[in-house]
Amino acid sequence: MHGIAALQPYVIGLVLLWASLTKLFSARMRAEAGRTALARLAGPARAVPALRLAGALELVVAAALLLPPVLPVEGVAATALSTGFLAYLAYARLTVPESSCGCLGAHSRPIEGRSFARAGLLLAASVAAIWAGPYTGGVWAALVAAAEVLVLLGLSPELDRHWLMPLRRLVVRVRKPLAPGPQGEVPLEVTLRLLYRSRAYCSASARLVSDVQDVWDEDGMRFVVYAAREGLAVFAVPLADADPAGVRVALVGEPALA
Amino acid sequence: MTTRRQMLKSAVLGGGATVVAATALGSLGPEAAFGQAAPDIEPGAVDPNFAEGRIRSIKDNTLLVLGSNMVFHSIRVVDGTSLWKLGPVSFDQAKPGDGLYARGVRMPDGVLAAESVWLNIVNIKGHIRNITGDKLHLDHGGKEILCHRIPGKSVAIYSDSPPSADLSPLRVGQHVQILGAWRPDTNEVDIATVFSAH
Amino acid sequence: MARSRPTDPVDLLGPVQGEVSWFCCGAAWGPCGTVGKGACGTCNSGSLQHAWPNTSDACWAITRPDSCGVSLSRRTCGFSHRTTALCGGASVVTTIADCGPQTDLFCGERSCCGATCASNRLIDLTPAAYSRIASLSSGLRPCEISA
Repeated sequence: MHGIAALQPYVIGLVLLWASLTKLFSARMRAEAGRTALARLAGPARAVPALRLAGALELVVAAALLLPPVLPVEGVAATALSTGFLAYLAYARLTVPESSCGCLGAHSRPIEGRSFARAGLLLAASVAAIWAGPYTGGVWAALVAAAEVLVLLGLSPELDRHWLMPLRRLVVRVRKPLAPGPQGEVPLEVTLRLLYRSRAYCSASARLVSDVQDVWDEDGMRFVVYAAREGLAVFAVPLADADPAGVRVALVGEPALA
Repeated sequence: MTTRRQMLKSAVLGGGATVVAATALGSLGPEAAFGQAAPDIEPGAVDPNFAEGRIRSIKDNTLLVLGSNMVFHSIRVVDGTSLWKLGPVSFDQAKPGDGLYARGVRMPDGVLAAESVWLNIVNIKGHIRNITGDKLHLDHGGKEILCHRIPGKSVAIYSDSPPSADLSPLRVGQHVQILGAWRPDTNEVDIATVFSAH
Repeated sequence: MARSRPTDPVDLLGPVQGEVSWFCCGAAWGPCGTVGKGACGTCNSGSLQHAWPNTSDACWAITRPDSCGVSLSRRTCGFSHRTTALCGGASVVTTIADCGPQTDLFCGERSCCGATCASNRLIDLTPAAYSRIASLSSGLRPCEISA
């Protein structure tokens, strides 16, 4: 147990160092500061200064944790900071639920359950760090600390693009969802997109006053009917051809339809 | 219907004599107003010829709609009105609870004579968070929207390439725009078109 | 891609061509229900309004049209633009009510109508405005924007 506690200052220290460097030096973080809950709480004008202040605080605590000597007061400071994180997340979730966390990097997703789990884990590690002594070795303690770091990384939405997204891409490549099924009828949207690209539609579109009224297929053509100022506009779109030049149009007066 | 379609077919294929370049309207009730130029509306102002909201009830050919801003609209649907719900549909597809946008002409009695009604239409942008089965999991402003591929309906447009029913080139992490039909009171959407820049 | 701030906005030299789409804002239903009233606090789906990629420094930092090689002038809330459909010539005048679209995420995308094409997403209209120049179900069209 003492070995595990002894490594907690380093685990917390590394996380805080990462958080502080992001807040202090990331241009993207500064650009997106306005979207964070901190900005919504402190006001847009104070968003960047507030982020920098939080980053500086984190840097001081991180340095104290990572550099010798190991003192209980460092664990107390980390505990206070982690409690502050949890309180900030809870308050932000309640008051500005749509804003992002601004914790460990720039991303636009609102605060989610993983952010709370990460802050909770940091708090537990910080409490353990109060009783930390010098690390004297021990494989199990090192393994626990490594697992802790991995869990903290896994609980960080900011890092999803580095591991979760590639993993999902791999799964998609293997499983091939969305693979095209058997060739059936040409979807209407394919016909309409071809229609939109045609000169025939372009020449008549200013006269159209509705969306598609009627559609049917006949003799290898798809007929598409719109209401027009003159009555109706009917387009004939070849089903087997992807060339918009094959689209034809006619304006038909309503009296002719009576 | 068949006779009407045959007439339209022969008109567009050049075999009929009923094709006219331009004729005056005047015989179809509310549609008579469709041809009139829309009155000038101040930029930034509410467009009186447009309505938004959810259908509360349907009475004869009129949709009673409660706008999201809590303003009631009566929207009259006539023969010439187009209805969209993942594609052109008939009037009986409009259900209470459906969201809608409608464009038409506001009549003196306050009723909107509809030219077009789009039911549950959404046009959302976001990152593809994951792809499973027939679904795209879209991260739309931090909220997950489940977007269903509907065989025979859903297509993808990869920049200016011809549209394709094959959605398999879409990739996790990609930013896309999805035009589709919302499934009322869920976070799910049926895909009409996916727009992808690549 | 150059990420430097452009000095010569193309829309100052004359009308600029690009892609137009639509977005919902204000009180709304479905996935739009939580979007709010936009960066200007005035946005409503039923009003003739639009989103512009350069309403402020913070807005520009998000939309980055310069990364697609397009520079656009700073226009703030309430400024009027005319959007004309390249297909058919229908137009609508709207005022700025939000920041957007995120031009950089669709760099190089192109929409065509007949032989006329336009690249890059430069403007998003409200449903009320978009449906005056095209059908909502079209989703994306080439257009010309002028002040």
